[in-house]
Amino acid sequence: MKDILSLFFAYAKSGLKSRFQYRLDAIVATLAVFLREAGGIIAMYLALLKFDTINDWNIDELLFLFSLIFITYGIFIVFFMALRDFPDWIRHGDFDRVMLRPRGLLTQLVLCGADWLAALGHGTLGIVLFVISANRVGIQWNFAMAVYYVVAVISGVLIQGAVFLFFSAISFYVVETGRLKGIFYWNMRKFAIYPLSIYNKIIQSILIFVMPFAFVNYFPAQFFLRKPDMAAYPEWMMYISPVVGVTLYLLAYSFWLFSLRFYKSTGN
Amino acid sequence: MTEKIIEVNSLCKTFKIHKRATGFKGAVKDIFHPAYERKKAVDNVTFSINEGEMVGFIGPNGAGKSTTVKMLSGILYPDSGDIKVAGYIPYKQRKEYVANIGVVFGQKSQISWDLSPLDSYEVIRHIYRIPPKKYKENLERYTELLDMGSFINQPVRQLSLGQRMRADIAAALLHSPRIVFFDEPTIGIDVVGKDKIRKFIKTLNQTDNITMIFTTHDMQDIEKTCERLIIIDDGKKLYDGSLENVKKGYRSSRIIEAEFESLPVSLTLPHAVISNADNNELKKLISFNTDEVSVNELMTALMNTHNIKDLSIREPEIDAIIRDIYEGRIVMN
Amino acid sequence: MTRYLSFAAIKFRSKMAYRFDYVLGTLHTLLLFVVYWSIYKALYGGASEVDGVTFSMVTTSFIISLGLSSAFEKNEMFLQDKIKQGTIANELLKPVNFKLRILFEDMGEGSFNVVFNFLPTAVIASFFAELQAPCSVLHIPLCLVSVILGYIVLWEISFIVQSWSFTLFSVWGLITIKNVIINILAGAYIPMWFMPDWLRNAIRWTPFDSIYFTPVQIYLGELDGSEIAFHFARQIFWIAVLWAVGEYFWRSGIKKLVVQGG
Repeated sequence: MKDILSLFFAYAKSGLKSRFQYRLDAIVATLAVFLREAGGIIAMYLALLKFDTINDWNIDELLFLFSLIFITYGIFIVFFMALRDFPDWIRHGDFDRVMLRPRGLLTQLVLCGADWLAALGHGTLGIVLFVISANRVGIQWNFAMAVYYVVAVISGVLIQGAVFLFFSAISFYVVETGRLKGIFYWNMRKFAIYPLSIYNKIIQSILIFVMPFAFVNYFPAQFFLRKPDMAAYPEWMMYISPVVGVTLYLLAYSFWLFSLRFYKSTGN
Repeated sequence: MTEKIIEVNSLCKTFKIHKRATGFKGAVKDIFHPAYERKKAVDNVTFSINEGEMVGFIGPNGAGKSTTVKMLSGILYPDSGDIKVAGYIPYKQRKEYVANIGVVFGQKSQISWDLSPLDSYEVIRHIYRIPPKKYKENLERYTELLDMGSFINQPVRQLSLGQRMRADIAAALLHSPRIVFFDEPTIGIDVVGKDKIRKFIKTLNQTDNITMIFTTHDMQDIEKTCERLIIIDDGKKLYDGSLENVKKGYRSSRIIEAEFESLPVSLTLPHAVISNADNNELKKLISFNTDEVSVNELMTALMNTHNIKDLSIREPEIDAIIRDIYEGRIVMN
Repeated sequence: MTRYLSFAAIKFRSKMAYRFDYVLGTLHTLLLFVVYWSIYKALYGGASEVDGVTFSMVTTSFIISLGLSSAFEKNEMFLQDKIKQGTIANELLKPVNFKLRILFEDMGEGSFNVVFNFLPTAVIASFFAELQAPCSVLHIPLCLVSVILGYIVLWEISFIVQSWSFTLFSVWGLITIKNVIINILAGAYIPMWFMPDWLRNAIRWTPFDSIYFTPVQIYLGELDGSEIAFHFARQIFWIAVLWAVGEYFWRSGIKKLVVQGG
C-alpha cells in the first residue's frame, strides 16, 4: 500500500509539473471546464426563476442532485482518465509502454492518468453545489447519512469507471470507440443530470438498466430528499448503488482480462 | 560459460485485417458482417539467443520483425509456438518478466516531453522499485557514459533528437535489465549522434554482458554493433548467422546490371540468375558467383548474344546484400 | 464569388463520404433535443402557456437553435493546428482570401449538417414533439436569410477567439468559455422569453440574440415587416463590427508571425 501511494505521488508530481509548464493555459483550461459544466446549471437556475419547480424539485434540491454527478466525475477523472481516453493510449503506443513495466496494467493506468486540472474543474463545481445546497434542502446530517453519502459517491465513481473499463476492453477489438462513448456515455450523462422522472419510460429504463446513471445521482439523492416522484420506483433502489457499482466493475474487469489477449499494438 | 537466454520455437502470429467496405450499403453491411483478410505476420519462426549476445534483427517494413520483438517483450500474445526468455514465458508472466528487460523505441520516447530527463527517471525509479543505491550508481554511470550532464535537468522539448535518444536509452537501463531491445534507436539522428549511440551500446554489451536485440533499417547500425544477424521477411526467417558470413559468402558474388538495346529474348547464361530491375524491361540484373563462373566468361557470353547499351558491376555492399536476400536474388543457407 | 461557392460545394461533397457518421450525428442531435423537450415538458407540467408562450413555441425554438448549432459543429482548433504545424504560411500564399475561404468551407459543412443531421432530427422530432409550422410561406425564405446571417455572426465570434492562437499556447480554454457564453446568452440552453428582464435587456445590446433568436422570432411570426427589416439590419451591423474586429486580430497575428519568422 505504501508502495502504491509513493508511486501515485510520483506520477502526480510529474503530471502536475508538466502541466504547470504552461501555467496560464492550465488556469484558463481549469476555469473553462468549470464554466462548461456550470453552463447547463446556470440555464436551469434561470429557468427556475420563472417556473419555481420541475416535477416538484426546487432549485436547491436540483443543485444537490447535480452535485453528485460532478463530485463523482471529479473523482472519476483522477482515477479513470486513462481509461476514458484509452483509444489514444493505444493509438499513440503508450499502452505498449504500460505493458513493458513490471506493474499491474490497471494499477498503472489508474495511477498515472489523472488529469488534475479537469478534476479540479469538475470537483470544485460539485463541492460548491454541495455546499450551497446541502443545508438548504433540509437534510438532518448524522453519522449514518454521512456514511451513506460517502458510499454513494464511491459507488458513483465505480459505476462510471466500470463503463469506461468496458469501453477500454472494446478498444482491444476496435480502436475507434469514440462514437459509442458519445452516444452511450456523454449523451446519457446529459439526461442523467436532471431528475429521472421527467423522462418517458424508455429513457428511464435506459438510465436504470443500460447505462445506470440513475444509481449515480438520482436514487442516492432521493435517499436524502424523498421527493414524491420516488413513488414510481421501488424503495430498495435507493440502497443498491454499491451493489450496482461493484457488480458492474467486476463484470467489466473480467471482460477486460479476457480481452487483453486480443491487443494488437499499433503499426500492424 | 554461455547459456540460452531467449528460446523461440515455431512462433506464429496472424493478424486479421479489416477490409473496409465502400458506400452506405457497405458501411451498414460492415457493421454486421465485417470482411477480414488474414495476414501471417510471423510464420513459424525458430531461433535462440545466448546470454550476452548482440543480435541484429532486420527486414523490410511489415516483415514481422517488430511483431516478433513485441511477442518477445510480452506485449503481444502469440497464436502458437513457444517463447521463453530469461526463464519466463513473457505473455503469461508479464509483470515478473518485464522487470528483466529494457526497451528503447526510437519512434516513441518514454520520457515526458515537458519534463527534464531527471524528472522522468524519478518516476521510473518508483515504477521499477529500484533501490536508492543502485539507482544512484546507475544514474551517475549512464550520465557519464552517455555524456548527459549538460542537459539532464533541461525539459526534453529543448533537447536535440540525439540527446533525447541518449536520455531514452538511459531510461531503459536504470533498472539494470538483463536484456535490452532496441527498436530503430538511431532513426533521424545525425551521423555524429548515431556514432555516439552505437559506441555506447557496443561498450555496454561487452562490459556488462547484457543481451541485446537490435531492430533497424540502418545497416550501419548492424555493421558497427552486431556480430549476429537474423533476417526476417514476410514473416519467415530468411537468415540466421554471423554478419561476417553474409559478407564472406558474398565476397565472391557479383551483380551485373545490364541495359539492353532491345528487349532481350531467350536470355540464359551459365551459373547466373537473371531478374528484372527498376520496372524497366530493358534492364536486367544478372547475379552470379565468381567461384563458379568468371566475369570474363559471363561477359563474353552476354556480348556475343545481345546488344548491350550500358553495363555495370556492383560492389558487394552490405545494404545490397540484404536487399538481394529479401528479394530472393541470393539464397542463403 | 463563384470560386468561394465552390469551396462550399467541395466541403459538402467530401462530407458525403462519411455517411454512416451522420446517422450517429442525427441520433446525437435528437437525444439533445429530447433532453430539452423533457425538461420543458416537466416545467410546463401540462400548462398550455406561460407568460403568453406556448409549449410548442418553446420546442420550436429549441429545434431551430439546435439545428443552427449543429450546423456550426466544426473543428474550432483549426487555426491553432495550422499555426502550430506551421502550415499557415502555405495557406497565405494561395491567391484567395484565407478568411473568406474558410467561411465558405464551413458553410458548406454547415449546410451538409443541416440537410443530413438537422432535417432528419426535425422530421423525427415532429412525430412526438409539438412543433409549429412556419407562420407563412413567405416567412420561410426570410427565416433562411436570418439563419445565414446568424451563422456568420456565430462564425465571426469563433474566428476572433481562434485568432488568439497567434499569442496563446492553446485557445481550447477560451473557445470552451466562449461556447458556454453563447449557449446561455444566445438562448440555446434556455429560450430567450424566460430570461429575467434585466438579462434580456442587457442581451439586446450584444450580438448574441441575433444568432438564434432572430430566426426563431421570424419563423414563429413574432415580428412584423418593419421589425424583420430592423433585425436584418442589426444582424448585418454585428457582422460588420465583428468582421472588422476579427480582421484586426488576424492582421496583427499575421504580422507577429512574419516578425517571428514562424
